[in-house]
Amino acid sequence: MEFETAAGRALDTAVARGAEYADTRFEVDRAERIEVRNGVVATLSDATSTGMGVRALLDGSWGFAATSDLTDAGIDAAAARAVDVARAGAAIARRRVGAAPTRAYQDTFEARIERDPQDVPLGERVALLLEAERLLHGPAGVAVGRAWLDLWRTDKYFFSTIGSRIAQRLRQTGSGIEAMAVGDGDVQVRTYPGDVGLYQSGGWEIVEAARLIDEAPRIAQEASELLRAPQCPSGVFDIILGSSQMSLQIHESCGHPAELDRVMGWEANFSGTSFLEIDQLDKLQYGSERVTIEIDNTLDRGMATCGYDDEGTRSIRSDIVRDGVLAGYEMSNDTARAIGRESNACVRASGWSSVPMIRMCNLSLRPGNVPFDNLFDDVKDGIYMESNRSWSIDDRRLNFQFGCEMGWEIKNGKRGRLLKNPTYGGVTPNFWNSCDAIGDARSWFAWGTPNCGKGEPMQTGRTTQAAAAARFRGVDVGVGYRG
Amino acid sequence: MDSPTMQAAQREALAKRILALSSADRTEVLVSAGDAALTRFTHEVSNQNLAVENVDVSVRAVVDNRTGVAQTNRLDDASLRSAVARAVEMAKLSPPDPLTPDLPGPSAYAPVDGAYDAATAVAGANVRAGMCSPVFAAAESAECWSAGYASTSTSGLTVANTSGGVASFDGTDAALNVKMTASDSTGFAEGYSSAAGSIDAAAVARTAAEKARGTANPSSVDPGEWTVVLEPAAFGEILIYLADHFSAQSFDDGSSFCSDGLDRSYFSEQFTLSDDYAHPLAPGMPFDFEGQPTQRLSLVENGVVKSILTDSYYAKKLDRVNTGHALPAPNAYGPQARNLVVAGGSKSTRELIAQTKRGLLISRFWYIRTVDRKRAIVTGMTRDGTFAIEDGCVARGVRNMRFNVGIVDLLGRCEFSSEQRRTGSYHYSMVVPTAKFERFAFTSVTDF
Repeated sequence: MEFETAAGRALDTAVARGAEYADTRFEVDRAERIEVRNGVVATLSDATSTGMGVRALLDGSWGFAATSDLTDAGIDAAAARAVDVARAGAAIARRRVGAAPTRAYQDTFEARIERDPQDVPLGERVALLLEAERLLHGPAGVAVGRAWLDLWRTDKYFFSTIGSRIAQRLRQTGSGIEAMAVGDGDVQVRTYPGDVGLYQSGGWEIVEAARLIDEAPRIAQEASELLRAPQCPSGVFDIILGSSQMSLQIHESCGHPAELDRVMGWEANFSGTSFLEIDQLDKLQYGSERVTIEIDNTLDRGMATCGYDDEGTRSIRSDIVRDGVLAGYEMSNDTARAIGRESNACVRASGWSSVPMIRMCNLSLRPGNVPFDNLFDDVKDGIYMESNRSWSIDDRRLNFQFGCEMGWEIKNGKRGRLLKNPTYGGVTPNFWNSCDAIGDARSWFAWGTPNCGKGEPMQTGRTTQAAAAARFRGVDVGVGYRG
Repeated sequence: MDSPTMQAAQREALAKRILALSSADRTEVLVSAGDAALTRFTHEVSNQNLAVENVDVSVRAVVDNRTGVAQTNRLDDASLRSAVARAVEMAKLSPPDPLTPDLPGPSAYAPVDGAYDAATAVAGANVRAGMCSPVFAAAESAECWSAGYASTSTSGLTVANTSGGVASFDGTDAALNVKMTASDSTGFAEGYSSAAGSIDAAAVARTAAEKARGTANPSSVDPGEWTVVLEPAAFGEILIYLADHFSAQSFDDGSSFCSDGLDRSYFSEQFTLSDDYAHPLAPGMPFDFEGQPTQRLSLVENGVVKSILTDSYYAKKLDRVNTGHALPAPNAYGPQARNLVVAGGSKSTRELIAQTKRGLLISRFWYIRTVDRKRAIVTGMTRDGTFAIEDGCVARGVRNMRFNVGIVDLLGRCEFSSEQRRTGSYHYSMVVPTAKFERFAFTSVTDF
């Protein structure tokens, strides 16, 4: 296994300096990005970053050090530094929190890809985006077109002093388009597919599935029409959210509050705490009985899918919300033990230089049994909203407000005229308890989020939320324009 | 003691070595070397304690007005040669852009006093632990628990290109960021400096604890329009969402509030905004990521928008002066401010509060996002110290609230304190005073 000798050196040094447990992660991360903006290739880049991080446990305190210097001296220095950092933390700590993992694995994992993007000539990749972006221009008011493509490759190697030896090859791909229309003192944006594009684990087949060229004319036309559309009304309405907006709703109001480190106050100063407190486990009526949300880090095409997390724990499936009731958390080894459970492999670092921490991974809202079109049937006066434009939620994840790119009136079970600037808000458990219908498996889709921020220093995580469209009763609509 | 990062002379030698490998018409090399360490704490325990060193190289190659960029952090000859070759290969596959600018040649830039502190550059984990200890002590004596971080970092950047331009900068930074939590209330305080030794950890901790205690038993107030007094951290968080409107890119594409024209009054006469890398409270880099000297730029003077920020691309496209605000290539976001400064007013913060009959004093916001781009409407929540002001006095704590406000409108009815403070969020460094706004719209209230 590549890096095995270097890893042995790092672990030996950490132990010699006093570590009771240590693990080390070597990563080679390669990121290619192409972005076309108004006919110009604004970004054509290829970045490779290689390095190692060492995590050391000493006297109940963790230390982490990372370096790009992979010489013997660089590895020794990083391992020694991790122990020094842990020792300094132990000296001021009022209690002990760290505990070493107990289970070791020797294994490999490789993400499923059907076509390696590297087999597609770079010129062909650029040409696809130029053509997709070109097709965004034409409808009145479209001032800016964008088309983009990201190819990410991570090869990581995890070793620990209890004998873990894990090699993983992860491949993630994303692409999207955006039309921005400007006119009459207004700016309207339409993106496709979803507000960040389509990001999944896999190869070139993910780009082909996005069908950017086929959809570009429609997206441009919708951006233009939004400039002339009436403002979404303000008031209490039944709403239906499209599956990509549901993805964001799950992300903010279930994924983040279910991170156990937040529940325990580890994120209090930055991304906040959580209303999903430990004494509410197996009691809190988080949502209606139709709502079951599971963690699935084995999900096909999931952005967080991997064989093992960055603590060396094997990926599994587990529930966060079961039939509406709070049933679990996203956990690390330390935090799981604190509540008498076992880690469900939700620890990730955004790269070799980042400290591993609990991250939202792949979440899935189990589909219901209502065909998409039938969600509208008994809505007398409502709004259908699609594709996120704005998102905000308080630091306990209760009071949220979201905006979407497009809305449509629903009158007596039928979708009506287009509305611009739809926004809605609410309080998390009230909102999820108002869910009375979830779309069936045909409208269920795994939406990747490539840019989830958490931690200080900020780490960018890659997650997936899979969902179908869903219906909610009596929601406060139009809140964003009430000021 | 931690080791200092790669020095300017070494970075410049490395950059020249890379430039010599390139066959492109024009080549630019960025060498960024950094060593960053941070101790994160919660409940009087260090829960994340880390130190990271890295040297990154970025190569921008231009061939027949076609551009490619490649990056690597491996510094052996083969890796550097490969990065240059990839940049050139990518450039050759990109369509030509006639607006591709020349790279800046040799130029002079002023040294910046106070940007680098030798002690901070070599600060070890014990220095950061020493910043945390007074926080833990304050938390215990106030019967709170603390969460936050202490950080120190050193960063060096060299930009060099085949037009003969070479620019190097070394800076250090330190921060202490503290939230205190009491039984039903929280408080926040922060300290930033280029020198860790000048942050008074005990004072930061005391302020956060006093706020947590001062907002105990919070009561609800009705949503609606309020007079608000925003402390610098809160004002700075809102200001971030105005910054992009001064970019030549958003000005050019029509999405900026000021796209209809400059030299117009968009704000109150009280509002004056500049981008100033040399401000003594937040000294920064005197050139941009293309090596172009950065102008100390007046963006708004007494409510009138005077300038927008450019880089070499938009200077050429819009036939304007290059103000030196480029981000690292490749950059699809356009030029950006790095050092926003809002001029102070004539009254003290105490006077601003004393002259408020009924209002809210706000320490900090959370999760601000744009609701409407053109009108710069944003939403967000109050957090960690929201107080009612009654008859000119800070009276009691109130529960958190959600707001929806148009920033441009808001700055039409503003007043500022005479005291400025450095604040920071994400990658922005800002120097701002306490701000008072009339008719700040809250749309809902939480139960905590």
